[in-house]
Amino acid sequence: MSGRVIVITSGKGGVGKTTASANIGVALANTGASVCLVDMDIGLRNLDILMGLENRVVYNLVDVVEERCKLRQALVKDKRMPNLSLLPAAQTRDKTAVNAEQMKKLCEELKSMFDFVLVDSPAGIESGFQNAIAGAEEAIVITTPEMSAVRDADRIIGLLEAQKDQITQYRLVLNRLRPKMVANSDMMGVEDVLEILSVKLLGVVPEDEEIIISTNKGEPVSGTDNTRSGLAFRNIARRLRGEEVPFMDLDVKNDTWVTRIVNFFNPVRV
Amino acid sequence: MSKIAIISQPDQGVLIDVGGCASMQEAISHLSSTLQVSSQFWKGVNVALNLGDLELTSAQVAHILALAKGVGVYPYQVFAQRPLTRGALLENGVTLGDGTPMTLPAMTMKVPENPEIEEDWEDESVNISDDEPGVSIFYEPSENQLITDDVTDDLTDRPDGPIDFEPKAQKAPKAAKTEKTPAPSDKKEEVKGPVQAGVMYLRQTLRSGQTVSHQGHIVIIGDVNPGGEVVAEGDITVWGALRGIARAGVGGNNEAEIRALRLQPIQIRIGDAFARSPDRNRLHYDVHNGPETARIVDGKIKVFKFSPQ
Repeated sequence: MSGRVIVITSGKGGVGKTTASANIGVALANTGASVCLVDMDIGLRNLDILMGLENRVVYNLVDVVEERCKLRQALVKDKRMPNLSLLPAAQTRDKTAVNAEQMKKLCEELKSMFDFVLVDSPAGIESGFQNAIAGAEEAIVITTPEMSAVRDADRIIGLLEAQKDQITQYRLVLNRLRPKMVANSDMMGVEDVLEILSVKLLGVVPEDEEIIISTNKGEPVSGTDNTRSGLAFRNIARRLRGEEVPFMDLDVKNDTWVTRIVNFFNPVRV
Repeated sequence: MSKIAIISQPDQGVLIDVGGCASMQEAISHLSSTLQVSSQFWKGVNVALNLGDLELTSAQVAHILALAKGVGVYPYQVFAQRPLTRGALLENGVTLGDGTPMTLPAMTMKVPENPEIEEDWEDESVNISDDEPGVSIFYEPSENQLITDDVTDDLTDRPDGPIDFEPKAQKAPKAAKTEKTPAPSDKKEEVKGPVQAGVMYLRQTLRSGQTVSHQGHIVIIGDVNPGGEVVAEGDITVWGALRGIARAGVGGNNEAEIRALRLQPIQIRIGDAFARSPDRNRLHYDVHNGPETARIVDGKIKVFKFSPQ
């Protein structure tokens, strides 16, 4: 088996890289694929918390690289889905604990075990980012509709383009969009962001309080029904698998009493 | 955290680690202030020195050695990473240590063979464990929601079996519970040497990403936050909230105990046994059961309420 290694990156911190990694991972696993989530944020690991697997972490990525354990020992199997695994980062080390060469080797190994290897990159463009993209063939760039996040995403895309031979494909996920604010011209819309970045869109995820609840529970939203953000992440997973899925209708301009009643009975629209 | 670490190793003395210093000047100023705390303190202590990544010339090495000599410290072994430094050390007639002296969190310390001391220790631990009284009368079971049942499966489920720490260089200190013996004064004389010297006393809160690792017991006056990690071959006592990871009895000492004023850990491990917190992420830490002790009963970690007699 030769799986796909996809790095999830953003440049700016706090835009939802780790949340997206967890949710896309769960959604991909829900489609039946075998998935490995790799937390590359060494020293600031969070992915295990989002997945609710913090209490099961025994070994980590650095232990594997430094050969204190075998790769299989460090992989933490998800509580709900046996075809989803997590390779946690080390919390007591920093970004210099691994290098690009080691990451390449690790990704090669993981690729032979899983259909999808999702690498959660740390914020920034330094060694941590360089290590995260070292073994990747595809990239998902996450941004929010804010000037600063878009600016950083643009920088990241530039860096990814410079690695064209290695990273053959990169697509954008626009996270935490608030349709009402866009309608009032208080926030950049999907078109505005694409205008600047001119990059292929993989998905748009609306702002959703459910994300906070799910983080605290350790159960990513894409594993549960009836949340708009969860549906958005599931659509992203389907698009990653090559399906044509129409984008969610996040427009608020036809917000009349008729649509409100319709939405009341059908809260999740595709 | 301080730039210089002193790590006590019960069987071989003390390791002074200046590897965290950025420059030669910093290393020397930290080293001289550390060494001159008390010249009495260093008397008869075996000292190893770790220079880490520092790049030092022969003259600078000579300066450091002179500094140590001034307070009667003669490092029996010096660790260094840089070739230049290693060359300079050799020029000064110093015995070079292999690799790095200590890697956290797993204890991968290079322990030079010292059969004499090892034998002493073994004898002593046998003595102590013979007189050891039962301790269960001090505790009553409490309802701590640590999960131990499925965890054992979890770990053995892994293709390579349960977790092994690095093979240990010497026997585990069986005398893990010495301090709890009522200890009349004549007995105190028996309990000596490595067991007593092997207590690390730490007065600070261990935050996420910080690790303490020690070959004896560890006492922490402060909290261990989630993401912090305490690794000991003996007991772990936290005078505060234990919310991170604690591994007591590393190396197979199943007699070791973990106790804390608030026992709210993500994971604890004693010897070969393992327990983890419930699956929901904890939002509220103010709910707790008061002081508790975790120890192995019938091969599983159990938590007991600690009550004063």
